[in-house]
Amino acid sequence: MVEPVLTLKHFFEEARAGRLSGIRCGKCQELAIPPKEFCPTCQGRDWTPVPLAGSGNITSFTVIRVAPRGRGTEAPYAVAVVRLDEGVSLLGRIVDIPFDSLRAELPVRFRPLITGEQTALGFGPA
Amino acid sequence: MRRVAVIGVGTTKFGKHDRTSGELFAEAATEAIRDADIAPSAIQALYYGNVTGGEGEKQLHMGPLSATLLGIPTVPTTRFENACATSHAAFRHAAMEIAAGISDVVMVGGAERVLNIPTDEATEYFAYCSDASWEQTVGLTFPGVFALVARAHMDKHGTTEEQMAHVAVKNHRHGSLNPKAQFRKEITVDMVLKSAYVADPLKLLDCCPFTDGGAAVILAAEEVARKRPRAVWMLASQAASDTMFVHEKRDLSRVMATERAAAAAYRQAGKTPADVDVVELHDCFTIAEIVATEGLGFFEPGSGGAAAEKGWTALGGKIPVNPSGGLKAKGHPIGATGAAQIAEITTQLRGEAGARQVEGARTGLTHTLGGNTATVLVSLFGRG
Repeated sequence: MVEPVLTLKHFFEEARAGRLSGIRCGKCQELAIPPKEFCPTCQGRDWTPVPLAGSGNITSFTVIRVAPRGRGTEAPYAVAVVRLDEGVSLLGRIVDIPFDSLRAELPVRFRPLITGEQTALGFGPA
Repeated sequence: MRRVAVIGVGTTKFGKHDRTSGELFAEAATEAIRDADIAPSAIQALYYGNVTGGEGEKQLHMGPLSATLLGIPTVPTTRFENACATSHAAFRHAAMEIAAGISDVVMVGGAERVLNIPTDEATEYFAYCSDASWEQTVGLTFPGVFALVARAHMDKHGTTEEQMAHVAVKNHRHGSLNPKAQFRKEITVDMVLKSAYVADPLKLLDCCPFTDGGAAVILAAEEVARKRPRAVWMLASQAASDTMFVHEKRDLSRVMATERAAAAAYRQAGKTPADVDVVELHDCFTIAEIVATEGLGFFEPGSGGAAAEKGWTALGGKIPVNPSGGLKAKGHPIGATGAAQIAEITTQLRGEAGARQVEGARTGLTHTLGGNTATVLVSLFGRG
């Protein structure tokens, strides 16, 4: 048996409660988003969970107008890559920010988007 | 390692068909068998590509199915899935089987059928090629992925929506010269700019279509191919990957897997970008062509948009890109696309491309990208 790292299930259970978790490599200090067995930078396997504050800035975004099946009533909706203050990025749905004010570097803050059993990542105004 | 050549190619017309993907592949394979002038029984292995058949056609185990439909049911066969790079990945493995001396004649190709299902259903299945936990949960689509790339390229380099539109206009012009293209009508920059947004800043006419179609190529060992004057030689075939997750991309304005696969392929072939006469590359969206022309080394990072606007990538330009019409106009049956690109480059290097021929082409390149820029194949081909 290998000792476990943070699982997807754990990450999303924490996210559902409003908390984001990263993992930091004890060998090279690389910060990553779990799950990940070996550090892609140094190939170490010595991760420590670290809380992420949830604030960051948009690096790229789009407004999706043609949605996959089951999401037609949600469209149009914005999706963005957000670089968190700690240096790692996450993809999330943008909520409560008008489309025409979206731009690179706009500060945003994490919030969980809960639909029944599913938790997705969202970002709203900072 | 033995040298590998393409000795036969075939494709269906791309567009909407009322046949299964297996039937479409079998038609393309039959054309390739006739083109190679071999008996079907000469084929010693089949490498088959398909992506969405399990969802859209409720059909798995497509390797033996395709061999059965073709009439060679006892041939060893395997199905490949590498998102939109599926049959180019299959090609690389088929070539390795020949290079390793296991087989002398191998067929590789693929097919896709998606126009039998509604657009939102096809959009959902294509999105399965992105990550289920991080990307599908927020509703990211494939136009959405490349919209994020486009926005990053625009912010970093000043690339414009008009420059992207020039890619679509050029590829439709090329497609008008290809009898097998899905779209054979020319469009204008104004039409692209006025088409509806799908995922800002990408509009409908920045996007390749959903397509039904099949493609097949027949590969042979040097001992078989050297007696054939129309043989086209594989000079290199390389694959590279990058992180699957959009949130882990170091620079959204670049496709690192393209840069890595291209560097390895040029090194294997002993060629440079300046040696390439004709290119079939993965223009699933107009921005994808611009980024690919930079990643393959034809233009400096950030200058791909200006190159498209100046006509440098058109037939008659500095480096003709997608003379077939590309994914944009020829169409994009995702399991068939890599093999179809290889079929086009083979046709070009034979000098048999008719109205869309790149005159005197001696070295060609194919580039196929899969998923969230996570898989890229680059192969080089030459005469003699």
